[in-house]
Amino acid sequence: MTDLQRKRLLVVVRHSPYGSSLARASLDVALASAAFEQPVHLLFMGDGVLQLLAEQDSHAMGVKNIGRLLGSLPLYDIERVYVDAEAARRYAIDLGNSPVAASPLDAAQMRQLMVSTDHLLGF
Amino acid sequence: MTVILHTLNALPTSSAFDDCLRVAAAGDAILLLGDGVYAAIDDTRACSKLLASGADIHILSPDAQAAGVCHGIERFTLVDMEGFVELTERYPRQQAWY
Repeated sequence: MTDLQRKRLLVVVRHSPYGSSLARASLDVALASAAFEQPVHLLFMGDGVLQLLAEQDSHAMGVKNIGRLLGSLPLYDIERVYVDAEAARRYAIDLGNSPVAASPLDAAQMRQLMVSTDHLLGF
Repeated sequence: MTVILHTLNALPTSSAFDDCLRVAAAGDAILLLGDGVYAAIDDTRACSKLLASGADIHILSPDAQAAGVCHGIERFTLVDMEGFVELTERYPRQQAWY
């Protein structure tokens, strides 16, 4: 596939992992895009940083463990994962222990990331 | 220069509203729709924040009419569904906040 056909996609994840089906949907989109060789980046912003909590166990709830799914992202050519540094601080998320390594960004850097991509998808 | 079209469909008290305004800037458009139209009410903190963002503010007219917020919003551009489509054509990328 030539570079011209490739569209850089940024998936902006702003919702908590188990409050709705949005977390699953955002991961499905990211994985599907990566499967079609489109460069995919993920940004966890605002309440979305709650998906990066280390010790998720959704077994008793009977749904897929979002943390574990995130941990498998590096296997699927998801190029980069970013996190809203301010929101991570607000929720006291230990980024050194999150299910997937994420680079912290401030607001200006998040904007820069959005502007540098071809398509934005908000979840 | 047109950069990002933000569609903001959430109340001014929501994290979606705050997150949108953290990244919106000059060169962007913000389209208020659904619950987002309440941010257009004049003399509110939400309205001042919108104006301070530097983005062009548009409001979806059927939603604004339904909500009863059309009065006193001359500073913003009312658009109909056709206008919404035109905005999506004019801006290279779109971010949905909800």
